Amino acid sequence: MITQTAIITGASEGLGKSFAIELASRHINLVLVSLPASGLPELASFIRKNFEVKVNYLEIDLTLAESYPAIFNYLSAEQITAHLLINNAGLGNWSWFEDLNIGFYKKQIELNVITPVLLTRLFLAQADTACTSYILNVGSLGGLFVVPKKQVYGATKSFIRYFTKCLQLELHGSNVKISLLSPGGINTKPELLVMNNKLKGISKATIMEPGHVARIAIDGLLKGKKEIIPGMINRVLVLLNSLLPAAVKEIIIRQRLATIIKS
Amino acid sequence: MKVLVTGATGFIGRQLSLDLAMQGYDVKALCRNTDHPYLIKHKNIEPVTGNILYRQSLGRAMQGCQQVYHTAAMAKMWCRNPDDYHETNVVGTRNVLEVAANAGVQKMVYTSTCGVWGPTVKHPMSENDPRIAGFPIAYERTKYLAELEVQNFIKQGMQVVTVNPSRVYGEGPVTESNTVGKMVSAYMRGKWRFIPGSGEQVANYAFLSDVVDGHIAAMAKGQSGERYILGGEDISFNDFFNTVCEVSGKKHRLIHLPLKAIECYSYVEKLKTQLTGLRPFFLPEFAERLKYDQKYSSNKAIVQLGYRITPFAEGMHKTINYLKQA
Repeated sequence: MITQTAIITGASEGLGKSFAIELASRHINLVLVSLPASGLPELASFIRKNFEVKVNYLEIDLTLAESYPAIFNYLSAEQITAHLLINNAGLGNWSWFEDLNIGFYKKQIELNVITPVLLTRLFLAQADTACTSYILNVGSLGGLFVVPKKQVYGATKSFIRYFTKCLQLELHGSNVKISLLSPGGINTKPELLVMNNKLKGISKATIMEPGHVARIAIDGLLKGKKEIIPGMINRVLVLLNSLLPAAVKEIIIRQRLATIIKS
Repeated sequence: MKVLVTGATGFIGRQLSLDLAMQGYDVKALCRNTDHPYLIKHKNIEPVTGNILYRQSLGRAMQGCQQVYHTAAMAKMWCRNPDDYHETNVVGTRNVLEVAANAGVQKMVYTSTCGVWGPTVKHPMSENDPRIAGFPIAYERTKYLAELEVQNFIKQGMQVVTVNPSRVYGEGPVTESNTVGKMVSAYMRGKWRFIPGSGEQVANYAFLSDVVDGHIAAMAKGQSGERYILGGEDISFNDFFNTVCEVSGKKHRLIHLPLKAIECYSYVEKLKTQLTGLRPFFLPEFAERLKYDQKYSSNKAIVQLGYRITPFAEGMHKTINYLKQA
C-alpha cells in the first residue's frame, strides 16, 4: 500500500497539532501549514523523529490569495500527491458584534470560509482518482445552535455545514469522502484554558481534550462518516435540538443571553 | 549577596535555601508561616513572613535582594478550590515578577516543571520540543501559563532563567507534593502494593541535590529567556521498585493493576470528591497519563550549566537512608 499524505491547516497549535500527531501515529505523511513563527519547524522535526513519517511544512498566511495555489505548487514541485485535506485553520471570537473592528471580521471570514472552499477546490483538482481521498472540514456545534457573542464565527461554521453537506451530495459515489466535524468546546489555546476552566455544569461537561477529539475525528473520517460529533453530551444536545420545538429553544437561548448580559 | 527564595518550606526551596546559606549567601526565606516545621534554621537564613499573593509582603521581602529564586507553587495533586492553582502559580508568579522588576532585582530563576511538556512518544523530550497533549492536569496547565508570564517580562528586558525539573526525589520531607517520597515510604512500610499496568511505562526521576545545584548553576551561567530541563534517569515503574527493593532490603510482592481498572477507580474517586468534597486518592487525568512515558533529556543543562545527574540507584540509596532516619 502507498503511504498517504495529509495537508493540515492551522497545524501549529490546538486541534491542528493534535491532528498532526494523530495522523502521524497512523503512519500518514504530513504537510503542515501555519503562520510564520508559530513553531512549525520544531513540530515538524519532533514528528519526524518520533513517528518516522515524512513531514513538510509551509509557513504562510492563509488569508492571502496567493497562498492557496502556493500550497499546491509546492506539492507538485515536491512530487507529493495529497490524499487527505484537514481544513482546520480558523479564527474564533467571543464578543459583542460592535466590539471588534471590520478588519477582524474580514480576516475571520477569509480564514473560516474562503480558505476551506478554495483549498477543497484545489485539493480535488490534484486528487488521485484511483484511490480514496478524504476531506475533513472542521465546523462547530456553533454552526447548529445560535450562540450569542459568536455571531460571525457561528455564521462561518453554518456556511461550512451547508458547503460540506452539499459536496457530500455532489460527490456521492465518487472516490472522495467528506466529513463534517462538529465539536463543542475544546481545551486548546492557553487563553481558552483559563476561560474553559471557569465554566460550570453542562457547559463544562461539553469541553473536550484536543487529542481525544482528533482521534474520534480521524476514525470517523476514515470510516466515511458524514458528520462527526465528538462527546456523548454533545450528541444528546444535537438530538434535543432536533426534537424540541423552535419556541422552546428560543426561550432557552433568551435565558442564556440574559445570564450572559448580566455577567 | 542577598537572595530571596520563595517557597522556602517546599521540597526544593528548603534544600536550595540551605545550600545557598552554606555557600555564604544571605538568604531571605519567604514563607507564609515562619514557624513552619520544614523551614531550615541556619545563621545565614532569615525567615521572612510573606505570601506571593500579597504584593506588599513581596516588596518588603525583596528589599536589597539582588537575586530571586521563585520556587513557590501549588504542586499538590488536588485542591479543594480548583482556582488555587491559577492563583498561586500564575497570579503569584506575575506578582513576583512585577515586584522584582520594580525592586531592581538583577536576575531571577523561575522553577517550572517538565510537566509543561507532559507525555512523550518515543525519544526523550528536550527544550525545543512541542507539547503533544492537552492540559487536563491543572498543575501543568497553570505552570505553562506561568511560563508565558515569565516570557512577557523577559520581553520587557528582565533577566529570568527558567528551570524545568522532572519528578524530583531525594533527601527531604515527605510533603504532599513529594510523590516519589510518598511512594517509597509507603513501600517501606509495606503499604504500597501495586504497579500500574505492565509497569513498563517510563518516567524521569531527578535527584533533589542535583536539582538544587542546577538552580544555582542556572543563576550563575543560565541565559536569560532560556529554559533548562533538570532531570535524571528515565526509569520504568518495574525498575523503580526493583531498585527500591534492592536498596531498602525489603521485599514486598507488588500486584500489577490493569490500567482499565485504575481508570474506572479514578472515576469513582472523582465522583466521591464531587459529592462529598473529600480528598480523592487518584483522578482520571492522572490515570490517563499512566498510559504514556515521560522521558526527558537534560543534555542542554549538562552542556551549558555543567549539570550533573546522580545515578538513580545511588540517589535512591541516599533517599531511603534519609527516610529511615526521619
